[in-house]
Amino acid sequence: MIRVLVVDDSRVMRQIVIRTLRQAGYDWDVREASNGAEGLAAVQSDEPDVVLSDWNMPEMTGIEFLKSLRAAGFGTPFGFVTSEGSPQMREQAEAAGALFLIAKPFTAEGFRDVIEPVLA
Amino acid sequence: MSAMVDSDSVYAIAESVFSAMIDGDEGLLLPWEGDLPQFADPLYAWVDLLGEWQGRAALTTEAPTAHALARALLMMGDDEVVSDADLIDAFGEIANVVGGNVKALLPTQGTLGLPRVDAVLPPHEGGSLSQELRLSWRGQPIVVAVWLFG
Repeated sequence: MIRVLVVDDSRVMRQIVIRTLRQAGYDWDVREASNGAEGLAAVQSDEPDVVLSDWNMPEMTGIEFLKSLRAAGFGTPFGFVTSEGSPQMREQAEAAGALFLIAKPFTAEGFRDVIEPVLA
Repeated sequence: MSAMVDSDSVYAIAESVFSAMIDGDEGLLLPWEGDLPQFADPLYAWVDLLGEWQGRAALTTEAPTAHALARALLMMGDDEVVSDADLIDAFGEIANVVGGNVKALLPTQGTLGLPRVDAVLPPHEGGSLSQELRLSWRGQPIVVAVWLFG
């Protein structure tokens, strides 16, 4: 079973992301973290198969989280789930090593469209 | 400034947020018909846009409607009580997603502040109202407003 770490400062949004993963057919093992710093610690203690992270968070933003992971030598597959899906944000995410960016609001179909090619 | 954030774009953002996050494909967010009643017990959720183009995206509704929105987001029953933490989280996250999509309409991308929820909307110095949409969600009034300060 794929192990995913869902990182978002909003508990409600974490619930929605987890619900949407299930609706998209991904019965994954889910762990949660509420900001980038918690996410970094979670990966360092037990690396998941994939990270789904918000961008705009207190303590440590999603892009800082991703850069910290890569600087620490973790190549964990990483995708953003964020309300900011502009071309500039997508370029910044890709340059930092993100595999994809899912813009909020999203649907189960949107999750599948982005995640399926990565799983393949 | 209003031209780059036109009312059709803001309505499209709000409609997509409500249909994707709250109502499914039912399309329960509609333009408000007639005069908007004055809010008796308003609750505001907003997020500030920071950087070269500064602004704010805010939602206003009656507190009971904000509770109903939170219940819908959390898939709770109609008679379940929403905690203050979940109310602030859920209503603020709606403003956050609306604000993030409004920010994407601007010519340069700054950053997004963290969402806030309160019974009073603090003034933002030098701002001018760019768009104000008067909407109806399940028959209850919701105002979506965007200010720009760029």
